Amino acid sequence: MRKRLGVILGLLIAVVLLAATAQAGTRGANVTNVTLAGWSSGPDEDTLLNQVVAKFNATHPTIHATFTVINGDYPTAMTARFAAHNPPDVFYVDSSVIGAWERQGVVQPLNTYVKSTKFDTSAFFPKLLGAFQSGKTIYGFPKDWSPLAMEVNKGLLGQAGGKAPTNWSTLLKVAQTMKSKNLTPGGAPICLSPDWARMLAFVYQAGGSLSSITSPAAAAAVNFYVGLLKNGLAETPTQLGVDWCGTALGKGKSAIIFEGNWLLPFMKSTYPNVQYGVFPMVKDKTGGNLAFTVSYSMAKDSPNKQAAWTLLSWLVGKQGQTLWMSKGLALPSRKDVKAIGGRQNFLAAAPYAVGWGFGNPNFSTAYTVMNNDLTAVIAGSKSVSSMLSDIASALKGG
Amino acid sequence: MATASHVVSQPRSSMLGARIREAGWGYGFVVVPIVVFGLFFVYPFGYALYISFFHWGILGKQSGGAGTFNYAKVIHDPVFHTAVKNVLEYTVGVVPLTMALGLSLALVINQKIHGRNFFRSAFYFPSIASSVAITTIALYIFNANGLFNHIIGSRTPWFQNAPTVMWAIVGLNSWTSAGTAMLYYLAALQSIPTDVYEAAAVDNTGAWRTFWKITFPLLRPAHFFILVVFGIGALKLFDQAFIVSNGLGGPNYSTYTPVFYIYRTAFTTFDFGLAASAGVVLFVIIFALTLVQRLTVGRQEAS
Repeated sequence: MRKRLGVILGLLIAVVLLAATAQAGTRGANVTNVTLAGWSSGPDEDTLLNQVVAKFNATHPTIHATFTVINGDYPTAMTARFAAHNPPDVFYVDSSVIGAWERQGVVQPLNTYVKSTKFDTSAFFPKLLGAFQSGKTIYGFPKDWSPLAMEVNKGLLGQAGGKAPTNWSTLLKVAQTMKSKNLTPGGAPICLSPDWARMLAFVYQAGGSLSSITSPAAAAAVNFYVGLLKNGLAETPTQLGVDWCGTALGKGKSAIIFEGNWLLPFMKSTYPNVQYGVFPMVKDKTGGNLAFTVSYSMAKDSPNKQAAWTLLSWLVGKQGQTLWMSKGLALPSRKDVKAIGGRQNFLAAAPYAVGWGFGNPNFSTAYTVMNNDLTAVIAGSKSVSSMLSDIASALKGG
Repeated sequence: MATASHVVSQPRSSMLGARIREAGWGYGFVVVPIVVFGLFFVYPFGYALYISFFHWGILGKQSGGAGTFNYAKVIHDPVFHTAVKNVLEYTVGVVPLTMALGLSLALVINQKIHGRNFFRSAFYFPSIASSVAITTIALYIFNANGLFNHIIGSRTPWFQNAPTVMWAIVGLNSWTSAGTAMLYYLAALQSIPTDVYEAAAVDNTGAWRTFWKITFPLLRPAHFFILVVFGIGALKLFDQAFIVSNGLGGPNYSTYTPVFYIYRTAFTTFDFGLAASAGVVLFVIIFALTLVQRLTVGRQEAS
């Protein structure tokens, strides 16, 4: 019995040793393994990123990067990894949570690496890089981005005079014409989400900002936005019976919507026959837009920081980003990388679009307050001024 | 003397040995469940209690000393009040409805009807289906242009409208969990001795009267059990509220529940101390309500 146990144990040890040496053999002696993690926006994007990573591995024999998709609730999954001191070396960070993560001390400041490798940061659009900066400290480099634009059904626009609105008053005029001619039966000329991720662009157009959210300019923008919903020129996706404004445009329930670059692949695959144009966001006192952007950042707990920086700086560098842009899934965050065609009205917003996150560590928490209060304002159970003061207090961490 | 004591002590010591051996086997059998219970329930609970007295972030304890400040914040937070109010309304709606539905189904299934096995499975099916899948499908059926509105001729977005959303979840969840309540009631119905029904039949008692005077009172242990188990479950509402509000608890906080509050505080604000204290407060609320049920319905059951 004891002899047999000994034989089994011996065999087990041999198998483990063999597996370990085999593993070491494939990795090679001086190869550093670096893990890269992000969420998945679809199989196309996963395949493309794996191709980009394969290219990196081919050109960097001493580093082996592997990309893992974190499915489900990304911030929650990452929180668990941070807490266990076992995060991926390089990972996606949405601009809306960078402030909170930075304050929790889980994201590595990159300035020393930028300096030591003389990495050129001037190629990035300053507003996009600024979304991941706190003062002069850089916590990530934008991998790509999208602002909002105004998408208009071409046929319906033709019937309403043919000229796309450029400012608030022409937007009102076109919408009124569309409504009086009943061009969107069973719907409304404009689809507006009850979401600050759309309405805040109007606040900036009115000359307001998130940091001065209780200003008259902000209140004017809210009144304009909510007014469109109240006077029937616009309806929310819920009222239109669709999941988002993209579907409303596709189904002809609305003629004018405000969405980002993500609309283009959706329309191509779901409503390929709908003719629509992409126009710059309307203006009021000034141009205002939001920049939804995601960074590649490095974990403070990463054991392979130098190798992680090599991967990160290559991915956001000219070569990496050019590869990443090859399928037009996103817009380049670098001035020296070209976007594929039809994106010029999105890219036009780069100089003034404000990073979604606004450098406020309480932003992701405040966003819950913002949208809950907005639904109350639309329903008429809360005043605009009380919503704006709620938001100001939430942004202060109250 | 020595011999006598030897004679007396021998069976005593062997009896003791047997008892120790028996206890050893007993503990041996429960050691795994106790370790699992300790590791996954007692330890996290104790730890949550501990961190509820600190400022606690992703990487652990933050600056600032210990205190009851998190409890003060939770207790005075209007959003938490709304969350508790929402979940109490939901519980008051969903538990009686589930019990009524479950009991009705159990009464039907308990009859000697054709295909009762089929109906039993069919009624139980929603209980085992994924709540996420069911909620997602319900969102389509009950949206402004959905099937339900086509039938009743309305345009109400039931799940996106602050006054209706909680009641829509009540309807959905009482339907999905009625199957489980049905199983409990079915077991209880089958344990009622047949002689009481025979006596009622001899007295020529009508079906309605038999139900209210015999069946319903004799189901009291089942009522109490279902009330407690489903009540606790209802107070912990999370997934449906999360899905219908896209993770925001809206519109206008109408789907904010205490568990949702805990989730947002922990994973959006990263204030784990505050989230833990909200968890403890929720525990106290559930404990107190269960105690009240025990002292009212439970006492009647005992009598």
